[in-house]
Amino acid sequence: MASVTVRLPRLLAGLIGGALETTVEADTLAAALDTLIARHPELGVHLFDESGKLRGHVLCFHNEDNTRWLPSLERPVKPGDVITIMQAVTGG
Amino acid sequence: MRTLLIIGTDKGAFLAKSDAGRTAWTIEGPLFKGWRITAIGRDGGRTFLGVNSFVYGATIQVSDDLAKWRQVDGPAYPKDGTRKLTQVWKIAPVGGALFAGVAEAGLFRSDDRGDTWKPVAGLNDHPTREKWMPGAGGLCAHAIVGDPTNPQRMWCGISAVGVFRTDDGGRTWQSKNRGVTVVLEDKTTKDIGYCVHGLAQDTRDPNLIWRQDHKGMYRTRDGGDSWEKIERGLPSGFGFPLVREPRRGALYAVPLESDEFRMPPGGALRVYRSIDGGESWAPSGKGLPGEHAYDVVLRGALTLDAQDPAGIYVGTTGGTVYASRDAGESWQALPFGAPRVVCLAAFTE
Repeated sequence: MASVTVRLPRLLAGLIGGALETTVEADTLAAALDTLIARHPELGVHLFDESGKLRGHVLCFHNEDNTRWLPSLERPVKPGDVITIMQAVTGG
Repeated sequence: MRTLLIIGTDKGAFLAKSDAGRTAWTIEGPLFKGWRITAIGRDGGRTFLGVNSFVYGATIQVSDDLAKWRQVDGPAYPKDGTRKLTQVWKIAPVGGALFAGVAEAGLFRSDDRGDTWKPVAGLNDHPTREKWMPGAGGLCAHAIVGDPTNPQRMWCGISAVGVFRTDDGGRTWQSKNRGVTVVLEDKTTKDIGYCVHGLAQDTRDPNLIWRQDHKGMYRTRDGGDSWEKIERGLPSGFGFPLVREPRRGALYAVPLESDEFRMPPGGALRVYRSIDGGESWAPSGKGLPGEHAYDVVLRGALTLDAQDPAGIYVGTTGGTVYASRDAGESWQALPFGAPRVVCLAAFTE
């Protein structure tokens, strides 16, 4: 399995002990997110809505790719990859 | 005795702590910096905050010492369902259990001091549920009132829907809005479409309840079976918060100019008081801005402490918190520029 870095916004850092990033071991993007939630279950409700999808204003990037445009999260990850969670800043 | 005032704002929670005379205050915080605090509750020594984000959703956070907080499991609507839990509006102990009112409108119950939550299906799946329509503040269950003499009885207020009462411990709920003017009239049922904004109860006579409604100030003497309008002395029947001081029975409300304008009438921020059970109302004492005040007091931003005379506290959308240590005879602004104040709760320590 690959060691992948997950970066979180400051509003969610408190849920993983105050750190802005952590690492997970996984083979796919989906498995990496599953591992993150399994390790920090309080994150789940903040990232995913009742439908199980990422909340509408939560962005998730796999390296430079916005996962919203991927056909599936069953995408292989490799050592050193970075998953970045951030909020979509909209409106004013 | 000192008062701890928890100030819930758009950008976090602040702790205002008074001296023994409630004249000097220190401010600590913010807790949950950047998060919107939408509800404050306490059960025994445990404090609960409804913590919300437009981006990251709504949760309840719990603390036994106001320093170390943890997120609890729920309340939550079922996965793959159509309802979304967007905000926790009220957290209140009733009859040995803890209840949370939420948006989209629903009621949840905890029997383990807030660690886990179960939906109150009798209300959440009420026969009229599919016809509930949101008002300007959303479709929210924001008022929870128990009956100290009867654990089977309870009231829940839902904006733009109305007041419901259960007499069987939450299994079934009946609409209790007779005498109140309807806001959103339904084609087929007369049970819903009433817009309750706040409820206050005489805990010694639980059938005596006051109601700040979209359509005016009301009172029931029979547990909600019938309501009468009581607005003598009020500049407007419209407003949001309503509290009752239990020791002397004084009621406090903050009228606003109409549902269309929603501002202090004449630009004067006034907390109105009734000392005769709502028969008549008059502005409380000096110290609140008498002109050029156009910020408002939201539904949860009027509260009182348990001291004698009672401390009364109001927070405005402009970020000012006013305190009265003499049951409303005089007011002073706390030395604090808060973000938009959403809710307040005061505890005597």
